[in-house]
Amino acid sequence: MNTAQFKELVSQKIQILDGATGTELQKRGMPTGVCPEQWVIENPDTIKQIQKAYIHAGSNIIYTCTFGGNPIKLEEFGLGDRTFEINRKLAQLSREAADGKCLVAGDIASTGRFIKPLGDMPFEVCVDIYKEQVRGLLAGGVDLFVIETMLDIQEARAALLAVKECCDLPVCVSMSFDESMRTLTGTDSVTALITLQSLGADAVGCNCSTGPEHMLEIIAQMKPYARVPLMAKPNAGLPRLSNGATVFDMGAEEFGSFTSRFIQAGVNLLGGCCGTSPEYIRELDKGCGNLIPQNFVCSQYSAVSSSRKTVFFGINKPVAVVGERINPTGKKKLQAELKEGSTNEIRRFALEQLEKGAHILDVNVGMPGIDEKEVMVNTVSLLGSICDAPLCLDSSSPEVLEAALRIYPGRALINSISQEKVKLDRLLPVAAKYGAMFILLPLSDEGVPEKAVQRQAIVQEVYKQAATYGYQKSDIVVDGLVMTVSSNQEAALETLKLIEWCSREFGCGTIVGLSNVSFGLPERSWVNAAFMSMAIAKGLTMAIANPSSDLLMCIKMACDVIMKNDINSRNYISYFNNLDKPLQGENEKRADEKKTGERIFDAVLNGDNEGIGRLIEKAVEEKTAPQDIVDLYLIPAINQVGKFFDEKKYFLPQLIQSAETMKTGFTFLEPMLKQKKEKEEKADIVIVIATVKGDIHDIGKNIVGLMLRNYGFKVYDLGKDVSAERIIEEARELKAHIVGLSALMTTTMVEMKEVIKLAKEQSLSCKFMIGGAVVDDDYATAIGADGYSRDAYEAVKLAKKLSIQEDAQHN
Amino acid sequence: MDETIKSKVKYFENIPAVPNRDWILSRLGYRKGVTELKTRDLQLIDECIQQGGYLCKPAGAYMNISIIDKDMTGIVLDNNISLMSQSLSKLLKDSHSVILMASTVGHEVSKKVFTEIENGNASAGLILDSVASQTADAALDWMVQMLDKMLIREGKKLTKHRYSPGFGDLPLCYQKDIFEALQLFRLNMALTEKFMLIPEKSVIAIAGVEDKGEL
Repeated sequence: MNTAQFKELVSQKIQILDGATGTELQKRGMPTGVCPEQWVIENPDTIKQIQKAYIHAGSNIIYTCTFGGNPIKLEEFGLGDRTFEINRKLAQLSREAADGKCLVAGDIASTGRFIKPLGDMPFEVCVDIYKEQVRGLLAGGVDLFVIETMLDIQEARAALLAVKECCDLPVCVSMSFDESMRTLTGTDSVTALITLQSLGADAVGCNCSTGPEHMLEIIAQMKPYARVPLMAKPNAGLPRLSNGATVFDMGAEEFGSFTSRFIQAGVNLLGGCCGTSPEYIRELDKGCGNLIPQNFVCSQYSAVSSSRKTVFFGINKPVAVVGERINPTGKKKLQAELKEGSTNEIRRFALEQLEKGAHILDVNVGMPGIDEKEVMVNTVSLLGSICDAPLCLDSSSPEVLEAALRIYPGRALINSISQEKVKLDRLLPVAAKYGAMFILLPLSDEGVPEKAVQRQAIVQEVYKQAATYGYQKSDIVVDGLVMTVSSNQEAALETLKLIEWCSREFGCGTIVGLSNVSFGLPERSWVNAAFMSMAIAKGLTMAIANPSSDLLMCIKMACDVIMKNDINSRNYISYFNNLDKPLQGENEKRADEKKTGERIFDAVLNGDNEGIGRLIEKAVEEKTAPQDIVDLYLIPAINQVGKFFDEKKYFLPQLIQSAETMKTGFTFLEPMLKQKKEKEEKADIVIVIATVKGDIHDIGKNIVGLMLRNYGFKVYDLGKDVSAERIIEEARELKAHIVGLSALMTTTMVEMKEVIKLAKEQSLSCKFMIGGAVVDDDYATAIGADGYSRDAYEAVKLAKKLSIQEDAQHN
Repeated sequence: MDETIKSKVKYFENIPAVPNRDWILSRLGYRKGVTELKTRDLQLIDECIQQGGYLCKPAGAYMNISIIDKDMTGIVLDNNISLMSQSLSKLLKDSHSVILMASTVGHEVSKKVFTEIENGNASAGLILDSVASQTADAALDWMVQMLDKMLIREGKKLTKHRYSPGFGDLPLCYQKDIFEALQLFRLNMALTEKFMLIPEKSVIAIAGVEDKGEL
């Protein structure tokens, strides 16, 4: 059977699929825990009996018993190397059962592993694994393929490509959606449909999941966008345990009562999954009666998808913004990172652009000194895991784009295909294979035509060729090819003419890279924004831009309203409701009109580390005595901060920020205070701190050290994983008054005891204070420490207390 | 067949973990209705959460393994790992198998926390540290949710709580057995002599698999 015959078949009559196989095998004696595929081969009559029962009940298509027939699943029973033979045999058995009365679909399902970047299985390995199974099923003589119960869109893509690269038989793909209407890895139904149908699935649908009621909703969501037949194979409800056995509550009659609703919703292939039996299939067949399937021609739309989201755009829709920042041109840090394989800048650009409202992210990693193909594949893979925006794959190399398209887990937009021979010959078939939309660049091997009318001719010619691969006008976006107005003032007008022609006459979307238009002019953002609004008025559907430009984004939102593309101004209102409203802190009051001293107090209270120096200089200019600044403002302020911290009005970052601000203030005052020979009260108190041996956690200890320093103690930090011997040696060397020990785990807190024991053995007379998640006052007492503090501020208070005791001892 | 493919351990190299903002703040001592946040605090928190978003590289691993023996004092797993803990045994009283799992957010964020503190931006370092801890937890939460979705198809579910070595009466030393079972070196993780995980922001946990029960 070829794909045209399949289309004809499902458009003429609802095709009834089979029901559950596993539970039917168990009813007929298959023990639990065995490999079903192997058991069926050893008991061939059983599967024939079941499949004949389904055919008798009305199934037009039966599935081979190869749900777990991929090499990974078979390997769980040590049968991985018999994949071909097992699949061939099982397909032959189904053919014998069918006996020419129905079609046999080669059944392919999940491997149970996850593909990179989410999991650890390389995409190509997964494709090869499925190909092994496909070859066996082909040798057994299947009529078509069904990829079913898929939980991950990338694995479904791998299986689909495996089938399509092995044969021309029709292939249906059926995903499993849970109650959240998404697959296990987060793909929604419309995204699954758009991704799979553009990759060449001949039918798309869902199976397993929950019961029929829920599945009807999924089918209803898919139908408006389905260019291919839809299929549904619901469970007889959700499984539950009754007397230790798994049961499904929905009876055959009730199950069959959903048939007409499924057909009205747009299903062309209908069957049953878990909990169903030939009786259920008979009810489905009965329910079909004389009902005729709906056609699967839907209205035109433009859409690209990631693995978790679809973005629609086009004429009469809001302008879609393609974020342009993931591009190394002019970005030294990104260039350096791409060379060394680091990804922080890419992550940052991606997240920032999405935060600012980009709908799609353009990805261009072309630069000298790197393997562009490898970097592009890694980047596409990374972006798929950290964000859900669809990608625009941007490269001049057909090879790079092909590699990226292969692993891209959705329907991509390609930037770009022109009338250049190499692009048409090499890239167009690749784009078509992966079902990508593409940006049509109206230039040819002769160069860039100046006039709109010449560009129109190229658009028509490229489209003509694309149509031979099945492309529709809604699958392409024409680049207006904006040239700089500073060198040719006609350039922008020609682009506007082309945009108008595409949107009003030809009937396709358009895109422009905005920044070119203003090149060479001062204050470019005005020109860009003006050009964009004029282009939108001519029908522009997409803009490649930096979404961090508030000017551009705001004008775009306004243009969408004015052009009636933002229904009821919903996007506009929502955008401005969320747009960088100045964050308003709780109970915040204005600080102007206060005296300088009060402002110093506030600066410490607010942790204004940048502003305090200026304020202190001002206070000194106003003749405030340095010691007064300390006594009247800095000390009271930090005490107030401590009080707020105790009362939980402040949390730790605020305490730290205030302490750092006070330290900065002291740094400014110190020379003046020294002039007056006023010695810092605690400058002589030496504290040695360390995280004990075996423990590698040190943030708590670092924060305590910082706070102690800010409060004037002289702190020596020995680091983490420090032995008792070294701590004691350093404490003696540095003449420490206090030793602070930190440990986070129960396994390392015991080391604190060793340190104190060693100190006593060596008659070291300093005080010991301890801290860490697993210690407390009782533990401090038990090991002979002089105190415990639960946080950094308590540590300061404890250090003050211990230093007084230490002073008293020595005086 | 590639060992990666044959292994019973399943690895997630890029988990879409999203840390909970409230829990990030709570970890830092924030108390709703009591702690007063100012504009600069809110800005710093948002900046650190965003920065954590690209510095944390959440990854994880899990395996489902049968319990072959169980009494009040502990459990024995099919791979001969014995976990002696009364409270764990109590948690797993209705379980026939357990999920051993681990998550990490990688080395980079810890390095950044250190640098921030060294460079006098301790409050930023502290918030980033909290973001990293919370992201490691969120990665485990994500795995738990995914496993629950898979188990529901078999009429099963995970125990409501999960347990980690080092808590209650389950000694930290069990991290070694679980580390080895999950082959966590494959996620660039390591274990110290005192059974601590490297990178620092990494977590190991155990949850039970139970039948969903009668309706």
